[in-house]
Amino acid sequence: MKDSSWIRAMFEEGEKMKKLYGEENIFDFTLGNPIAEPPIALKKELVRIVTADTKGMHRYMPNSGYEEVREEIAKFHRQQSSLPFTHDHIIMTVGSAGGMNVVLKSILDPKDEVIVPCPFFVEFKFYIENHGGVMKLVDTTSDFHLDIGKIERAITKRTKAIIINSPHNPTGVVYHENELKGLASILNKKKKAGQRIFILSDEAYRKIIYNGIAFPNIFTLYDDTIVVTSHSKDLALPGERIGYIAISPLIKNGHHLINATIFANRILGFINAPALMQRLVGKFQQNSVDIMEYQKKRDTIYNILVESGFEVTKPMGAFYIFPQSPIKDDVKFVRFLQKHHILAVPGIGFGKSGYFRLAYCVDLQRIEGARQYFNEVGAHYRK
Amino acid sequence: MEETGWIRRMFEEGMALKKTYGEEHVYDFSLGNPDVEPPEQLQKELIETLTRSPRGMHRYMQNNGYEDVREQIATYMKEQYGLPFTAQHIYMSAGCAGGLNIVLKSILNKGDEVIVPNPYFMEFKYYIESHGGIIKPVDTLDTFQLNIDAVDKAINKKTKAILINSPNNPTGVVYTRETLKGLANLLYKKRKEGHTLYLISDDAYRKLIYDNVELPNIFRIYDLVISVTSHSKDLALPGERIGYIAISPHIDNVDALVSALMFSSRALGFVNAPALFQRVVGRFQRNSVDILDYQKKRDILYNALTAAGFHCVKPMGAFYMFPQSPLKDELEFIHILQKEERILVVPGRGFGKKGYFRIAYCVPLEKIMGVLGGFKRIAQRYITKG
Repeated sequence: MKDSSWIRAMFEEGEKMKKLYGEENIFDFTLGNPIAEPPIALKKELVRIVTADTKGMHRYMPNSGYEEVREEIAKFHRQQSSLPFTHDHIIMTVGSAGGMNVVLKSILDPKDEVIVPCPFFVEFKFYIENHGGVMKLVDTTSDFHLDIGKIERAITKRTKAIIINSPHNPTGVVYHENELKGLASILNKKKKAGQRIFILSDEAYRKIIYNGIAFPNIFTLYDDTIVVTSHSKDLALPGERIGYIAISPLIKNGHHLINATIFANRILGFINAPALMQRLVGKFQQNSVDIMEYQKKRDTIYNILVESGFEVTKPMGAFYIFPQSPIKDDVKFVRFLQKHHILAVPGIGFGKSGYFRLAYCVDLQRIEGARQYFNEVGAHYRK
Repeated sequence: MEETGWIRRMFEEGMALKKTYGEEHVYDFSLGNPDVEPPEQLQKELIETLTRSPRGMHRYMQNNGYEDVREQIATYMKEQYGLPFTAQHIYMSAGCAGGLNIVLKSILNKGDEVIVPNPYFMEFKYYIESHGGIIKPVDTLDTFQLNIDAVDKAINKKTKAILINSPNNPTGVVYTRETLKGLANLLYKKRKEGHTLYLISDDAYRKLIYDNVELPNIFRIYDLVISVTSHSKDLALPGERIGYIAISPHIDNVDALVSALMFSSRALGFVNAPALFQRVVGRFQRNSVDILDYQKKRDILYNALTAAGFHCVKPMGAFYMFPQSPLKDELEFIHILQKEERILVVPGRGFGKKGYFRIAYCVPLEKIMGVLGGFKRIAQRYITKG
């Protein structure tokens, strides 16, 4: 519990600070709870659906979700990948978090290992351990890309999957096609030797990518791929808990895996993804919240950090940035930031000391407002 | 998978039958998926909420849910149960299934045992095992009321909780005050011996009770009660996955339990109950779908079955009935029902109890009227008059 509590601990300390200094004087970058609203067309569609009042629209449906919604999503994936996706390959889930749990429950036997590149979203550890698995952290390169050599060395006979998350929380990195090909090639080597290792790709941020950077389609690079995504970020519906699992049509005997996920969805207590939101999201696979808004925020926070003297990798997507802490002890540094009215999460909360995470999914004025404090803190450490 | 697959297997066989014979000639009583609609007021409220569309209404909130909604529910719980519930005692969950999973994850250590009266809803087994627990089914009496002596014998050092469900799936039985007092006495006796046990109460059907049968106030009968409920049945919203956990105000250090529940709901991937339906259900705590409608269905079916010679405990609530199979092997019997009369039910072994079968009568009245002849003919053929 201890390693997971950082985000919340910071959040709670932040609440205290806000009471003390007034909310407008505290710049809270701790939580990935976007202030963006869902697209207007989506809100209209939601009203239309509930007004149409189709009989039975709030009842149970097949555990995998409405067939016509899954078909819409399959169509999207057919277009994106040119692979023969059908509604059978899509399982509607309670967000990405629900989807990850369902997949891990379906593929893991006790003591099976799952490789996770570090730094990482700390919940992955709990998702894996919930289902008897063991997490194997593998460090990324200094710019947070995959270290294929290290991954290869971390694979054992018990390795069942590798979780990748691109665009990445907490670093904002997007993996290039080349490094994903590199990953595929070592996994294919294992496959030839008789060991199937899944790529479990958490694509919750896939539509939030800046400067037109290409987002490689992992389904076309590796056969044994399972994608989990949600509409928390792209359609700004995090509270509604809606997402899905897409299972590659290229997985051999994929129907076993599909059946296992449907079963896991039920027995983990999800039963099915919320009905109304399923009906809603099918039609919005091509849509997204305004990326340019996020990009402006990214540029602003990045420039502020650079001008203040921080070492930082420029994020290519998502809405997180992961600068180096000027001192080794990132917890101490985050407390120092707090004294300067800025709330951040220490890198240790993502398995990587010496860094800190800022979630910049806040109003642009808040980011601008924090500039003077970042400048002050930067100046303090340059002395 | 073998034991739990029954409900779904029957459902799927039903689909096949419907294709062959036409939907109107198949009597599917296999699934607890009510054909009723949510109260009209609720549907209006839903439209109104979405039209108003307050800023941020689809964002994350605290893992335990919106405070104002929890406050509304706490007010209702206070009225209903006469105990000082506050918003902190209410935890919004993704239905009962979601609520039970986060409760079990929060209280169980590996190897802990949970007692479940038998017959029982088979998913309980998976919920318990998912979190390292061990299910200990304990047979109920012939009336399907709790067998307190048997529960007593089943308790050992590893027992962490007893999980009850009243009104009950699959039997429709409501536990009497006497039964529950007996259970509480036993649990208090164990407490004196130094063994603390939780009572987890799955109250999903608590508003579906017939003939003004009393639903005893479990919070007043025992102190360490965690109630889990949903709005799947009372507000007919099963697909939306909305319910809540109510922690007894008698439980000390509720904050620690709530923190554990928050951690569990995040770790298990629920994160929070769906936002929109949280907002909607707060105001509908006193509402329910039409009970009399279910009661009528129960009466017609129960009277017809018993008149035909079936042995059945009269359901007092929920929308299930659990008659004895006229043949010792209920699997053989349900296949006969299916083949000869195109009636689909679930075998008792799908609920841990062979020799019985479950009828889910949350179907249109025409289907109930239509099936009576079939049950009568089957009874004439297979029930030996004693």
